[in-house]
Amino acid sequence: MNPHWNTHLNRTLSRRDLLRVSSIGFPSLAFAALDPLAVKQPHFPARAKRVIFLFMHGGPSQVDTFDYKPLLKRDHGKPLPFARPKVVSGETFNLLQSPWAFKQYGQSGAWVSDLFPELAKCVDDICFVKSMHGSNSRHGGALLELHTGSDTFIRPSMGSWITYGLGSENNSMPGFVTICPTQSHGGANNFGSAFLPAPYAGTAIGAVGVPARDARIPFISNTETPRPIQRREIDYSQTLNRRQLELTGPDRALEGRIESFELAFRMQTEAPGLQNIEDESPLTKKLYGLDNPVTEDFGRQCLMARRLSEKGVRFVQVSHTYKWDQHQNLKRDHSQNAAEVDKPIAGLLRDLKSRGLLEDTLVLWAGEFGRTPTAEGSDGRDHNPEAFTIWMAGGGVKPGFSYGATDDYGYYSVEKKVHFHDLHATILHLLGLDHLKLTYRYAGRNFRLTDVHGNVVHDIIA
Amino acid sequence: MRIWLCLLASPLLAQPDGAALFESRIRPLFEAKCLSCHSSGSQPIMGGLRLDSRAELLRGGSRGPSLVEGKPADSLLLKVVMHTAGPLKMPPGPKLKDAEIADLAQWVALGAPWGQSPLVTSKSQKEKHWSLKPVLNPAIPSVRKPAWVQSPIDAFILSALETKGLSPAPPADRRTLIRRATYDLTGLPPTPAEVEAFLNDKSPDAWPRLIDRLLASPRYGERWARHWLDVARYADSNGLDENLVYKNAFRYRDYVIAAFNKDKPYDQFLREQLAGDLLPPTGDLSTELERWTATGFLSLGAKMLAEDDPIKMQMDIVDEQLDTTAKAFMGLTVGCARCHDHKFDPISTAEYYALAGIFKSSHTMDHHKVVAKWHEYVLAPKPDRDRLAAHEARIEAERKRITELTSAQNKSLAAAAMRRVGAYLRAARLFEQSNRIQLAAAEKESEGIVLTTPTKTSEKPFLAEYTVQITRPGLYQLDLLNEEKGGGTADIYLNGVWQRQGLPPVQNRAASPESGGWSVALVLNLNAGANTIRFEHTRSIPKYGKILLTPHSSPEYPLSIVQAASRFDLNPGYLTQWIDYFDRSQAAPASPLYAWEILDRDAPLSAWANPVAKLFPSPLTTPDAIASHYEQLFLSALEQGKDSSDPGLKVLYTFLHEKFGPFRAPANVRRYYPEPLRDQIKAIESTVAELEKQTPDLPRAMGVREAAKAEDIPIHIRGSHWTLGKVVPRGFPNAIETAHRPAIANQSSGRLQLAEWLTQPDHPLTSRVMVNRLWRWHFGRGIVASVDNFGRLGDKPSHPELLDYLATRFVASGWSIKAIHRLLLLSSTYQMSSAYDSKAFETDPENISLWRMPRRRLEAESIRDGIMTASGGLRFDTGGSLLTYKDRQYVANTAKGSSVDYDRPIRSIYVPVLRSSLYDVFSAFDLPDPTMSNGDRDSTVVAPQALFMMNSSVMLNHSRILAETLLNTPNLEPSARIRLAYERALARPATNQEIDAALSFIASMQKEWNGDGKKAWQSFAKSLLASNEFIYLN
Repeated sequence: MNPHWNTHLNRTLSRRDLLRVSSIGFPSLAFAALDPLAVKQPHFPARAKRVIFLFMHGGPSQVDTFDYKPLLKRDHGKPLPFARPKVVSGETFNLLQSPWAFKQYGQSGAWVSDLFPELAKCVDDICFVKSMHGSNSRHGGALLELHTGSDTFIRPSMGSWITYGLGSENNSMPGFVTICPTQSHGGANNFGSAFLPAPYAGTAIGAVGVPARDARIPFISNTETPRPIQRREIDYSQTLNRRQLELTGPDRALEGRIESFELAFRMQTEAPGLQNIEDESPLTKKLYGLDNPVTEDFGRQCLMARRLSEKGVRFVQVSHTYKWDQHQNLKRDHSQNAAEVDKPIAGLLRDLKSRGLLEDTLVLWAGEFGRTPTAEGSDGRDHNPEAFTIWMAGGGVKPGFSYGATDDYGYYSVEKKVHFHDLHATILHLLGLDHLKLTYRYAGRNFRLTDVHGNVVHDIIA
Repeated sequence: MRIWLCLLASPLLAQPDGAALFESRIRPLFEAKCLSCHSSGSQPIMGGLRLDSRAELLRGGSRGPSLVEGKPADSLLLKVVMHTAGPLKMPPGPKLKDAEIADLAQWVALGAPWGQSPLVTSKSQKEKHWSLKPVLNPAIPSVRKPAWVQSPIDAFILSALETKGLSPAPPADRRTLIRRATYDLTGLPPTPAEVEAFLNDKSPDAWPRLIDRLLASPRYGERWARHWLDVARYADSNGLDENLVYKNAFRYRDYVIAAFNKDKPYDQFLREQLAGDLLPPTGDLSTELERWTATGFLSLGAKMLAEDDPIKMQMDIVDEQLDTTAKAFMGLTVGCARCHDHKFDPISTAEYYALAGIFKSSHTMDHHKVVAKWHEYVLAPKPDRDRLAAHEARIEAERKRITELTSAQNKSLAAAAMRRVGAYLRAARLFEQSNRIQLAAAEKESEGIVLTTPTKTSEKPFLAEYTVQITRPGLYQLDLLNEEKGGGTADIYLNGVWQRQGLPPVQNRAASPESGGWSVALVLNLNAGANTIRFEHTRSIPKYGKILLTPHSSPEYPLSIVQAASRFDLNPGYLTQWIDYFDRSQAAPASPLYAWEILDRDAPLSAWANPVAKLFPSPLTTPDAIASHYEQLFLSALEQGKDSSDPGLKVLYTFLHEKFGPFRAPANVRRYYPEPLRDQIKAIESTVAELEKQTPDLPRAMGVREAAKAEDIPIHIRGSHWTLGKVVPRGFPNAIETAHRPAIANQSSGRLQLAEWLTQPDHPLTSRVMVNRLWRWHFGRGIVASVDNFGRLGDKPSHPELLDYLATRFVASGWSIKAIHRLLLLSSTYQMSSAYDSKAFETDPENISLWRMPRRRLEAESIRDGIMTASGGLRFDTGGSLLTYKDRQYVANTAKGSSVDYDRPIRSIYVPVLRSSLYDVFSAFDLPDPTMSNGDRDSTVVAPQALFMMNSSVMLNHSRILAETLLNTPNLEPSARIRLAYERALARPATNQEIDAALSFIASMQKEWNGDGKKAWQSFAKSLLASNEFIYLN
């Protein structure tokens, strides 16, 4: 490569060129300025460096998990004593008490139902937000709101915004990884980069329905070509490329493509290693519930998430996909769902803590909405975007804390309400990003994750 | 608010002169900061608010009055400038200075006095945006080197280059040209024979003839339709929330391919897509069907099919159609105007709703219920369509009969049961009490009678019968041993009498070897002599390893619900629901049945919190007394009806009729119907099934027609249908001028007029936008780089006269797209090489002035098709759908990925585009998001693309096929095989040096592959196809 060309390149870079040659990490110095995933400084000192998002698809019920409502028990079977929202997803009946008992745990005395016996032991590390609310009562719209802030337009996912804002600390891996993501309810739009450049899009490892042990990045390997042979094939191709480059003269795209093969080769080497959990101790595996068929799959996802985070992947999403939608069989299916995730999540929190990672890793647990305190059929609850509980841990949030409140029955969020936009603003804030300043110019205007909304919830920050 | 309060308190300003304040401070402020958007001359008048007269200010805009005289704190004007009115913050840009706000506050506090002379703004005569000015037919510029000019295009390009002191790159060689043109026009590489023929064609018109040949190829439409499909946000599934298959979307795709192939005039193409159903009839059926298919353009968008608010859903769909239409044909983003006047482009909210009315008056959806159903045309002659409609109506009528019969019968069943509440209460209690006894599963077969083989089995109904001789009549416990799966939920009958509904899952001995494997089913009272035990199932013959009957010693035993119900002659279905009610209620104090529920509990009657409590005299203690009292109360409640003056009886009446109460229609309700009714319903059902089978399978296409009613719609303030403003007549934006503006008749939607307006020869945008798209698809960058945005926020044209020249020629040619291709490709500009020039690069690194032909990466489809063509594996099957799904079936939904055969070697345009689950090759190589109209594509270079080259099945299969093709071509020296490979992949022969390098690579790879020569050649083929030269066009 003629060094003279690089001098040129650096001087005449335009955004368009950046886009065109954007790639997942250029290690060479000459290209450092080009690397869209190069580490960027936050706007102000960050509390969290990375995010692990545990997504509970379907809408876990707040009144059966963390939002304890004694009046719901007292008034079981009575009609809801106030009006329902203008638009609801379906018809629900009278109040339905929770089939699970609630107890207080830890020094913080947080209420947790019997659904989460393991997580209950971690409440002193957790910050609950009980006054969440959204604007869309259907899975598709609500998922998009949670992930992108918009249920009307296709917008970049929060993982994309964060990776755009901070870059990636691992030059062999994408900055935003999503493990076994959903393909419904907005599908790839939930982890897409929309108008942000492609390298900020979430890279999927596997997909819904694929067991975590079989989850892979697209095209990450093939079984036909032994690695040393493949290396030689690439070397030969690169020889052709370099010779062509001599003929064409400097060309950023051609040079970028040469680099991209080297990165791909590194990624191909690194990614399976990050996914391969065999070198973890038996104790760690047990911690995540890998020894139990009920918790094995989600446990593996959580453990993979820790490994990716540890290696500097900025945003890792883990999905417990479309299981929490209990219009019926609430008792049976919420029990099953909680059993699948309780141990792995508690394991993840403990593991992060013991490794000192919890301090600067923000763990977010959320569904797309909550459920009605009123009954759908005789053993179910309908969608409820008016109130639900999410929680965060680590990464600068107040541990053992609970914020906001719902009404007596948990139908509406009433006290210190937090909208998705506020949650997004707060997450960015914890990462050292000002949601008003993290903008991208597209179609002639500056876009933000929070659009024209969003207030940082300072009260939950430690 | 603090600001003006302080100021008002200041003695210096205690007696200010209002008129002077207005003239000195307020007038200049309004003129400088407000009037460009808020005066009579504003285009549009933002928010309908004018600040150029006091009266207008008091009247206000869409948000109501801007000021309240004397009350700054209550005046919207002040809130808005102080940024305390929510998201509405004015003026745009930096906030007003505190002093300016204080002036305004004081002025309002003084009653907002006004001056004499009219307010003026320097910007009131804003110049029209370039793209809205009429298209001019510009003079061809003169140049210093006329020899280079082969086409007027060259004159425009060269003259601009000369101004910058640049000169065009030398012409490209012929091999480069044929590869460039063939990929450009057909999306495929030229074959070695085609290259050879072109090289040998020494006639002066070899190039134009090559272009003509390519334009005439059916492969041309397969390439250029794909460009349009990006604009039309084409997809084969809905995406968004409910990803349903658009099984018939492919007909629109095939329509577009055909339109490009036959060079359908663009104005006609546009009219058909927006209003094909409204064009004057030709009497020709196939024309009519083609036009219907074309309206699929409006229907293909991604929709929230599960939006709970049907009006919002409808307006969202209208918005999507409007946004796509405006972007595709006019390069304007109008979506912003849905909620507020467009901040940058001349489209007011009123004009948005004028256009929206057109689409609202069109029928896109058959209904907007969750999950909503899009309209499809039946592509068949009218008599066939009529027959189909009549047939479907018949099915509907039969279905309705079933509904009527069942709801009437359900009602009468429930009415009878409601009169026997006392018995239901007693039966529920009996059930509960008897079930406190737990039966232990059998352990030893020797203590009972073992039945192994059914005496009879049958299908439909699926049953297994066991006959057993009993010498000692009495109670027997029945245990089942299940050695294999199945038979779990059978109903049990004894001597024809129903005993139990379903069974708990019978444990499988193989799964739990530590247990004896027996499961208790129930206790039966067997007669002396022959007894018949029957197991009945709905779908399969119940199968058990063994059945064991053991004498049950105690007179007490747990009853099944069916047995408990039969003691009182009750309906087991309602009884199940009563038991379920008590189970959920757990004696909740709010329950109307509280007095009954606490019978066996430690709970005080005094805690009862329900009006029914008042109807209970305290001495009632025995269960029978309470049950009888309840029954009497419920009967009174029924008698008095829902308007009873007694609050307690009212509660009981409501309880009886609760939607999810004990008297709702039970599961499998039909088993309680009288036999004749059951037979009658079954007969109708089989008629329906038969009719459905006979439904003619006619081809269908997605499309739009006129709605039942055409109507103007009101402005939706801030985009919400909960806050409506004034009604706006349907029409077109004023700022876009055409000499003729078609009038929309009251009873028509206006789609046809919209199409006619867009295709007026003097429409300033339609022709400009399309020729710019064509330019972009040939040169990699538009003359207007923002191909989808010709508004103020879009890019300015790099060569404005050239754009107008092309637009003029486009219209003059009868809107012929192929004419524009010829015009562009026959230019010297197109035929330049892509050679690097350091001086030109210094001046114009982005090559905006086109000093060379840009080097372009192949697009996703061409990469896949190119690899498959180089290997020789691509097949040219055309049209149709690869989808194995049914129309409207969920695709790539949770639990399973899609089942599309993506590897089938057909052209990529025929590969289904499933929204939110795109083919990974497409998403790796920048296929634009198919939920949005997009005339541009990124050309990223990212690692996943390299992974595709290294590991994808496309690459592995087709590098193997290429190796086989090379090795199987007879009579070739190895060096000739290398040459052939280069010709197939790169459209050029290999140099001697390249041949030597390749042969030595192959030789050494053969060792790596343990002597497998074919594998070694495949390694070579892979490396060649993965090279930069393969995926870039010079």
